[in-house]
Amino acid sequence: MKRLDAVLIAVVLVIAGLCYFFYMGNATDGAIAVIRVDGTVVQELPLSKDTQYTVHTPQGNNVVEIKEGYADVIGADCPDGLCTEHKRIQKTGETIVCLPHKMVVTIEDGEKQEIDAVVE
Amino acid sequence: MRSTKVAKYGLFAALALMMSYVEMLLPIPLLMPGMKLGLANVVMVVVLYDMDAKSAFFISLVRVLLAGLLFQGFAGLLYSLSGAFCAWVMMVLLKKTKQLSIIGVSVAGGVFHNVGQILVAAAVVENIKMAYYLPVLLVSGVVTGFVIGLVARLCLQYLHAMGRKS
Repeated sequence: MKRLDAVLIAVVLVIAGLCYFFYMGNATDGAIAVIRVDGTVVQELPLSKDTQYTVHTPQGNNVVEIKEGYADVIGADCPDGLCTEHKRIQKTGETIVCLPHKMVVTIEDGEKQEIDAVVE
Repeated sequence: MRSTKVAKYGLFAALALMMSYVEMLLPIPLLMPGMKLGLANVVMVVVLYDMDAKSAFFISLVRVLLAGLLFQGFAGLLYSLSGAFCAWVMMVLLKKTKQLSIIGVSVAGGVFHNVGQILVAAAVVENIKMAYYLPVLLVSGVVTGFVIGLVARLCLQYLHAMGRKS
């Protein structure tokens, strides 16, 4: 192993660390779960209310469950089902993605909701 | 010499395909659902060092297309292709500089395999929030790349030892 190998590994790990702190460092308990399909918002669910919501996408369906302040994807008819294996999410910025259906569930801070709407 | 090359192409492509298959049979639970070791990349690194960049490109292409066709279905093909291509570009470039050992080249391959996939995924779902996965994928790319580099180096030692005997 050469010295530059170690430098390369260190650089990548530092970048990963920076991304982590930049992204998760200011994460707080989120207020709403925002469901997007193909980039457009289809539903916003407050985390305070337990509920189930079925997302209909052109490729298939996903069932999103809100329970005890967490959001989770509990059912999907996509081929791999990776989104259902993902752990439940609660902090702002946390995300569950179903790639085959182009569906994304993101936890967001409810107060920023209107600003986000303007940007979009 | 040409027949040697043809035989090697076939052998390595079959081996890489086998690796994809073994990996599908044994889903090793890692940090995140969907994360993989990338066993087939052992073959890619070996080919890159034992043969050349062009061979690595085509064997990789054959492997990804056949694995997509046989095991995974075409939904994941786009991600596999972009990941494999990114990894190939970075490994070829870094190998050319001659500043890195096989371990470093393999680590770069592992990391950029993941980066390539996440870029395409972010474009597909039109959501840059995919970056949430980036730290995990970078670290896992380093770890798997390191392991794969070690294994590839061992394989090459055996290959070259056998080559001298015959």
